[in-house]
Amino acid sequence: MNHTTQHSFEPKIIAFVCTWCTYAGADLAGTSRMQYPANVRVLKFPCTGRIDPVFILKAFQQGADGVLVSGCHPGDCHYIAGNFHARRRFAAFRKLLEFIGVDLNRLQFSWVSAAEGGKWVEVVTDLTEKVRAMGPMVEFKELALEEQWSGVIDTPELKEAYNAI
Amino acid sequence: MSTRVPDTSIYFAVTEGIRAEANRLLSAGEVTAIVGYTTGRRTGSSQPIIVTDADDTARLCFSVTSVNNLAVYLTKAKKEIPKNGKIGIVVKGCDLKALVGLMGESQLKREELYLIGVPCVGVLASTVQPSTELTAETIAPKCRECDAHLPSGCDFLPDVALPPLPQLDGKYTAEIARLEALTPAERWVYWKEQFAKCIKCYACRQVCPFCFCEQCLCDRNKPQMVDTTPRPSGNTAWHIVRAMHLAGRCAGCAECERVCPMDIPLNLLNRKMAKELKELFDYEAGLEVNDKGPLTMFTEKDDQSFIK
Amino acid sequence: MQKYISQQNLNTLLDKLIAKGTRVVAPRMNAGIPLYEPLESSAKMVTDQLPRRSAKEAFFPVCEEIMSYEKEGQQVKLTDVDPARFPETVLVGVRPCDAAAIPVLDAVFSWDYKDEFFLERRRKTTVIGLACTTADDACFCTAVGLSPAETRGSDLFLTPLDGGGYACESYSEKGEALIADNGELFSEPDNSMPLPLAVPQADKVDLKKVKRWLDEHFEDPLWDGIAVRCVGCGACAFVCPACHCFDIVDEGTEKAGKRRKSWDACGFWKFTHHASGHNPRDLQPKRYRNRIMHKFKYYDDKFGQTLCTGCGRCVRICPVGIDIAAIVDEINKK
Repeated sequence: MNHTTQHSFEPKIIAFVCTWCTYAGADLAGTSRMQYPANVRVLKFPCTGRIDPVFILKAFQQGADGVLVSGCHPGDCHYIAGNFHARRRFAAFRKLLEFIGVDLNRLQFSWVSAAEGGKWVEVVTDLTEKVRAMGPMVEFKELALEEQWSGVIDTPELKEAYNAI
Repeated sequence: MSTRVPDTSIYFAVTEGIRAEANRLLSAGEVTAIVGYTTGRRTGSSQPIIVTDADDTARLCFSVTSVNNLAVYLTKAKKEIPKNGKIGIVVKGCDLKALVGLMGESQLKREELYLIGVPCVGVLASTVQPSTELTAETIAPKCRECDAHLPSGCDFLPDVALPPLPQLDGKYTAEIARLEALTPAERWVYWKEQFAKCIKCYACRQVCPFCFCEQCLCDRNKPQMVDTTPRPSGNTAWHIVRAMHLAGRCAGCAECERVCPMDIPLNLLNRKMAKELKELFDYEAGLEVNDKGPLTMFTEKDDQSFIK
Repeated sequence: MQKYISQQNLNTLLDKLIAKGTRVVAPRMNAGIPLYEPLESSAKMVTDQLPRRSAKEAFFPVCEEIMSYEKEGQQVKLTDVDPARFPETVLVGVRPCDAAAIPVLDAVFSWDYKDEFFLERRRKTTVIGLACTTADDACFCTAVGLSPAETRGSDLFLTPLDGGGYACESYSEKGEALIADNGELFSEPDNSMPLPLAVPQADKVDLKKVKRWLDEHFEDPLWDGIAVRCVGCGACAFVCPACHCFDIVDEGTEKAGKRRKSWDACGFWKFTHHASGHNPRDLQPKRYRNRIMHKFKYYDDKFGQTLCTGCGRCVRICPVGIDIAAIVDEINKK
């Protein structure tokens, strides 16, 4: 029996994944008919080493409630060391985001190999449910509506947009 | 022995030393130009100057307003400065760290530089009013935590003994600790207020010796990763990107913070990242010429406790 | 016709305007620095410091939307910003150097193209100037022919008095109207004397002579001498009360977004960068030359005015200590 629960808030999760491991892992989950939340939008990259921190920032700015970055396990990188570099870069970037005031519970990193369809399901489900419990990411959305005082035009549309967050 | 107010009287002797050495270098043809400081119109002010004639070396000076990190004039961003031959440059200890970093990043070659070091007891936090006296209140926060009053490894250092230096508590350390103790939501409110003031004049980028990209990511529009307009949204993105790109490279000259016309505490971000990279990877920028920074190398044992 | 208004009555006036829904913009502290910003109460006004940015942003915002787009299927819906929605504003506590820049900007924004964004805000704003009682060695309004008591650009002008309160003079219909509407707050002038005004130290400059020199010295070693150290930021232009260059960009997604206008600066490398890759102002001294030329020559050629009011902001904040007052003085002495 396949029962779908109705939720009042469906978080938007953006997943930046490497094509060799995690993308294949997610594909395996699909071909194995495993169920996982449809909240995740997957973006495929050659390697986690190609995933610039600015992509994560952009995802939050464009309305993501949670972000997942996932690639090959250490030692398994198709390009030998891309994920090692990514690991350091994201260790630093997390600290920066945390200092700016972003709740790190919205940002998840994982190693998911091509054989780990089950782990993909687990990671995506955990993040989705965690973010669902936290509610929408409002900080960047609010910011996007803010103007310097001199450029503010108070309009009904703007008030409506604010209330919609 | 410690005093409360830094004794700046050595700067007269430092000035004399710089002038004499610059004169010798240019007269002997050992360098083609000297990048240093000279006095300005306003009382107490000083500003960068590039001297190419030995007769002009008497214009060189060093004072509490000699704040600029002159290393910025040696990077690609400043193509106007002739690079034919060896260049002499006046450096404080903090500026030298930037030069060390730039050498590590293959932007400069040690053998093309003649380093004139400055024994430094501190400079002003702000040069908006250059006649300000140097006191425990007006000294640059970076000077309170300085560990490089005497730059090491220079080609020339004026023979001047450092006076006893005041013991001052670290403002960055305290402020970072204060912010870390807040909740993420409270920190967001703090930075939002600070970044909202930003007008995207890019003074922080233009004075930074490490912002030497020929085209900044934030100036590009294909793809446009960061909104270019000076609105809270694009401002926040810009400052996050700036801090990330300087992580592991910035050695703390704090020029970004000094020049910000809106007084955004930019060096707090840089110091926070430096602190984290020290904890994570035991790396400190600017100490020795490394051909790899902490974010361009790795070890197999790096922490991955945050990765599932 | 001169009137008197006490500090208390000035505050009452501002609070009354705020309560009525008028946007009252005045110098106030924000995150540690003085800026011209809207007040929610007259108590927030701080008049003893020169705001870091000039008052131009009341008419020429740092960034403003000029249009928005939305794509639905094959249809693209464009929506213009309606200037009728700009708020009625009273700009108060404006320094003479900031106020004097406003009529200078009128010339360029109502020239061949009528900039409705600027002009509508201008129409809806009443400017209350305030005489300057302090100056530092970066101030040079007197060098460019203005003074700490300059009333140009002000609808009402306040002069602080030694016994407290202000002498208040009206210079336009808007100023007259403000007094007439709030007659009970103003009284006849008494015998108190104005507080001593600021005395900027800069020598007076012969602007015509400076312009004549600039006419003939597009190429001159002076530019390299000054500007080789310019690092190419936009700080000087952005804090300037008279600089008015702007950029227009579209921001948003494929589906929807906004066209925005924001401050730009001739110091930026990108300012004159052509799509072809060519840049006619390829080196920093050429960019800096344009700043001086525009202020003291081109604007005079076109509008017979000087694009500098001597507020000294750029002198104070230039990261590398470029001092426009010293440069103009040097040209004047040539």
